[in-house]
Amino acid sequence: MMPAGSPRVRLEAVDVGYTYSGQTPTRALEGLNLSVGDREFVALLGPVGCGKTTLLRMFAGFLSPTQGSVLCDGARIDGPSSDKGYVLQENAIFPWMTVRENVEFGLLAKGVEPASRRAVSDELIRLLGLAAFAEAYPKELSSGMSKMVEVVRVLATDPSILLLDEPFGALDAQTRAMMQDELARLWEQRRKTVVFVTHDADEAIYLADRIAVLSPRPGRVTANFPVELPRPRSLETRFSAAFSALKRQVWEAIGQSVASNAPKPSPSSSH
Amino acid sequence: MMQMSPAPWTRLRRALVAIGALAVLYGIAAQIGQKWLPHRIWMDVHYIDDVELLPTYRSLGEELVFLLQSGILPSSIAVSTGRILIGFFLGACAGILLGMATGRSRRIEDLAEPWVTFLRFTPALALLPLYVVWFGYGEPSKVLLIATNVAVVTLLGAHQGVRGVPRVYLDAAASLGADDRLAFKKIVLPAALPQIFASLRIALGLAWVTIVVAELIDAKMPSLGYLLALAGAYPRVPTMVIGIATVGLLVLAFDLLALFLHARATRWMKRTA
Repeated sequence: MMPAGSPRVRLEAVDVGYTYSGQTPTRALEGLNLSVGDREFVALLGPVGCGKTTLLRMFAGFLSPTQGSVLCDGARIDGPSSDKGYVLQENAIFPWMTVRENVEFGLLAKGVEPASRRAVSDELIRLLGLAAFAEAYPKELSSGMSKMVEVVRVLATDPSILLLDEPFGALDAQTRAMMQDELARLWEQRRKTVVFVTHDADEAIYLADRIAVLSPRPGRVTANFPVELPRPRSLETRFSAAFSALKRQVWEAIGQSVASNAPKPSPSSSH
Repeated sequence: MMQMSPAPWTRLRRALVAIGALAVLYGIAAQIGQKWLPHRIWMDVHYIDDVELLPTYRSLGEELVFLLQSGILPSSIAVSTGRILIGFFLGACAGILLGMATGRSRRIEDLAEPWVTFLRFTPALALLPLYVVWFGYGEPSKVLLIATNVAVVTLLGAHQGVRGVPRVYLDAAASLGADDRLAFKKIVLPAALPQIFASLRIALGLAWVTIVVAELIDAKMPSLGYLLALAGAYPRVPTMVIGIATVGLLVLAFDLLALFLHARATRWMKRTA
């Protein structure tokens, strides 16, 4: 289900399945369908272990589905590229580089001249309010800011797609809210196609245009919720009646998707 | 209760106090202890009854002046240090390059592993006779012996460093568009550097052990090993003490230099102690 008026599909997962091989093969995803429109902010919401990260790694080009196909602009994704900015769940800021070197890394990989790199990193670092820390090593940053540096690091090459894997999962509630505002502000300024993985319904509603609810393993999309809250979103948004109503719907959908994936007599599911 | 790690100058002061206390105790022992040392039967056998077993500071000082003025000590230091530097450089280059290769490629690792394991558990000095036969008495066998020792240790350090680079950094670099070359230069190398430096420090200490013993066995003038061998033959305890102290101070100086370089190269790391 796509929101009305979306011009074209950027990312698409068609009947995707993924099984981790090993002593006990694990089916992470099965029969998953999802499409993400141009400049749409989609939150993938699901419990821990439902295969959200697996799906995101497929979009990022680090995994190939064992069933079905994962497409970007209609073409099969065959590897990572800097046009799909990917922020990993783990802390992946390069600790041996300064904040500036981190932000400029993607441009360096593209062979951009130092002067132009500096112009871009100056702007992004200023956007984060980190000008004083431009030449500092990441050890001097808080964990929230260090994650935001990772986010602007992928923005530096101006990718049209952003893949964010629980970027604020490890933060405390207050810092988390601040970083969400920060991300929302960045996104208002530079609209990208975003897939945002989270297990936090509030975060999903606050940030996204649409929420795709995933079932527990093997994960598939069980419900889609367009988020029709006005932007820019603010503290008012968080306490609005519309927000609460949507949150209730989302929680009900989560409950149903858990029930629907309760032990079944046959492991094969049809769609 | 957690103990805080003290300020550097506090630690330095403590070290100086420990050294000073030992120096004073030795001075007292050297003044009054000589006649209480047990007489050994081999002293009579070798016709040595006036050997200074606990040389006083005065005789140590005289010996030091002699060794310096005659040029014996400076030239010995120069020769032994030169061998260390050449052997260390050759061994470190070979070891680090090989370790990176085995760290990056399972195939090379499988090919190299039996040899590395073999050399790792073979005392380098056991190789000396073989090296002497192959490379002759003289410089090449000693330098190559050091190089062998250093190469094995640094190979393991570089291997573990490269192999241990967290996957997330490589994934992040790849998704930012880095090719293998850039990823190696900007991700693998800096991430492996702390372990490489740690192995270099260990190898440096090992190099000094190796060179002194190698020079004891194939003793030629001038070298610190030879100085010690000669002092043992007479026997002259003041020469031994000065020789040992010289080696100790050189190892310490080299270790401090390595530590300094290590600290410079890993400024970005979080210090936990």
